[in-house]
Amino acid sequence: MALQWGYKRAFLRCLLLFVVGVVLQCVVGDFDNGFLRYPWGLILAVNYLYLLILLHFQRDKWRWVNRLSDHYASVSALGSMVLITIIFGLTRQDTSTEGVVGLLGFSRMTSSWPFNLLLFYFTTTIGLSVVDDLHHWRQRKLAAMMSHVAVFVVLTCGMFGSADKMRITVNAHLERPVAEGVDANGVSHALPFAITLKEFVMEEYPPKLYLLDTCSETSSQEFLSVDDASVEGEIEGWYLKVERMYDMAGRMPESSEWRDMLHTGAAPAVYLSATNSATGESYVGWVSCGSHIFEPSYLFLGERYAIAMPRRDAKRYLSRVDVEQMSGERARFDIEVNHPARIGAWRIYQVGYDTARGRWSSVSVLECVKDGWYSAINIALWLMLAAGVVMFITAGGRSLVRRGAAEPKEKLSNSKDKEVKL
Amino acid sequence: MSWQHLIWFAAAAVVCWLSGAVLAFRSKSSWPVTAVSLCGSAIFFTFIVGMWLSLERPPMRTMGETRLWYTFFLSLAGVAVYARWRYKWVLSFSTLMSVVFICINLFKPEIHNKSLMPALQSVWFVPHVIVYMFAYAMMGAVTLFALYLWLRRPSRRPSDEEMGLCDNLIRIGWAFLSMGMIMGALWAKEAWGDFWSWDPKETWAAATWMSYLLYLHLRPRLRQDHHTAFALIIFSFLLLQMCWYGINYLPSAQGASVHVY
Repeated sequence: MALQWGYKRAFLRCLLLFVVGVVLQCVVGDFDNGFLRYPWGLILAVNYLYLLILLHFQRDKWRWVNRLSDHYASVSALGSMVLITIIFGLTRQDTSTEGVVGLLGFSRMTSSWPFNLLLFYFTTTIGLSVVDDLHHWRQRKLAAMMSHVAVFVVLTCGMFGSADKMRITVNAHLERPVAEGVDANGVSHALPFAITLKEFVMEEYPPKLYLLDTCSETSSQEFLSVDDASVEGEIEGWYLKVERMYDMAGRMPESSEWRDMLHTGAAPAVYLSATNSATGESYVGWVSCGSHIFEPSYLFLGERYAIAMPRRDAKRYLSRVDVEQMSGERARFDIEVNHPARIGAWRIYQVGYDTARGRWSSVSVLECVKDGWYSAINIALWLMLAAGVVMFITAGGRSLVRRGAAEPKEKLSNSKDKEVKL
Repeated sequence: MSWQHLIWFAAAAVVCWLSGAVLAFRSKSSWPVTAVSLCGSAIFFTFIVGMWLSLERPPMRTMGETRLWYTFFLSLAGVAVYARWRYKWVLSFSTLMSVVFICINLFKPEIHNKSLMPALQSVWFVPHVIVYMFAYAMMGAVTLFALYLWLRRPSRRPSDEEMGLCDNLIRIGWAFLSMGMIMGALWAKEAWGDFWSWDPKETWAAATWMSYLLYLHLRPRLRQDHHTAFALIIFSFLLLQMCWYGINYLPSAQGASVHVY
């Protein structure tokens, strides 16, 4: 197989970047993006764009600029990113600094120098390609141009805006305004608004009954979903027939019987019979998952097996909150998973609740995320989506290799660019 | 409709797909081949729709459910390639692959229930999965084709048309990979505030996407070097396997991915 000098040189450049990254990693430790905090990230991003445009127009004077934007640079940057991303995928990301992997920063890949240098090189090759695309507009390459622009904007915003993102977790208690939260490191931050939880609503799926093996402490794969009070079915040789079912039930202390009860802490309860299909032995009794107030109930089937009901799965949960901004402006939002509230550059996400209390939770865990670069990245992603559609529509018929296409011109001009046999 | 009905729908679909594959070699006209094969896909799609209705949610949550879509799209990709380029063997390949995935689903049935966690209740869920499964099917088809071209008699070099087909399938597959990835990013932003969080699934998706992109960039300079092109197609497909289900077994991803299912 022949490997052209252009490829060799380009890949050597990536190897050099990788080695420099490893040295920096060993000497100065993780890459700290703190210097990119607003406004410096924005200032550097603007200067970076200016530099790319300047380099493009000086490419005839400086041959090394050509080498940053030619085909070999693209291939080497992509190839290097594929390799380092595979290492990324194979390495457990756990902030460990132990061993060679920890020393090289691979266990903290997004903070490691080798990864960030290669990513910056990759972004720069795309950036130069974008400037060239925009300078020499070619209708034929529309999908590729759209993809280049979109990927470049996403990567540039991702790099220069990485330090501006804030993610604050807030525990909102019913009727108690809260205006601060903690970040991932446990550091407290004040918010530019106060959140008051007015209501927490949860819908749950019907309860499910499983067969428990108390010896092996495993539960059956099969289950019976109790959608109503007349459900019956078989689980691993036991025929179950539901005779009564309460969606909200409770029981008195020392009593084994569950009653219909509309009360905080009420839990679903099922009265059922279980008959062994092979031996005919039969048992009846109550089964409930219980709650933070009531103990769960199991129906024991002899010494080894039991019928159990785990806590119901959440179908959806919603926090109704009032948000008051520093200006005094108030607004009410219903926040649920996939439906965050938006206040300026902030978004408030529903992330959790008091799982011990479930539907009776009086606290909602919310996450306030500030992302000043959201709009630029969002537009670029939609552009990328459109590029995919254009590429699909325009694909078909045309090969990537144009018939009779000449060998690349740029390498012919260079005396060193001869084919080298491996 | 329940999982037990799969065998009957699958049997009927496979009979149609096999008939189409045989007819491709015997029939002079392409429309009976296309019609019979599409009939098989329609029967299989009926089962998917039936599951959708009975589960009261899209059947896309478990690995077995994604295999249903993969089977369906693989059959469609085979018919599309046959209808466009008249490759007779492609229907045999797509039928064989579809049968393999049906057998996996029959011999390794998964328990399916109606529960759909809140994070999956998004407008992006259905298009994200369908677009990805279509991309996987296209990449599966092109990998089979590349293997066929690579392993057949060394004296028969791939023609420009055959390499052109590889290029086109990858271009279409990559376009869908990109769209699937972008839909995932837009969904992730709505769900938990990050477009991209380097979750193991996302990391392998990025490696796969860049590897196919490397093929698209490298191919114009690989006019005579088919070996490198085929090797890159197969390597990229291996990355895709890691992204699809490999991370379920990968030690570095255990307990670290929200995408393990």
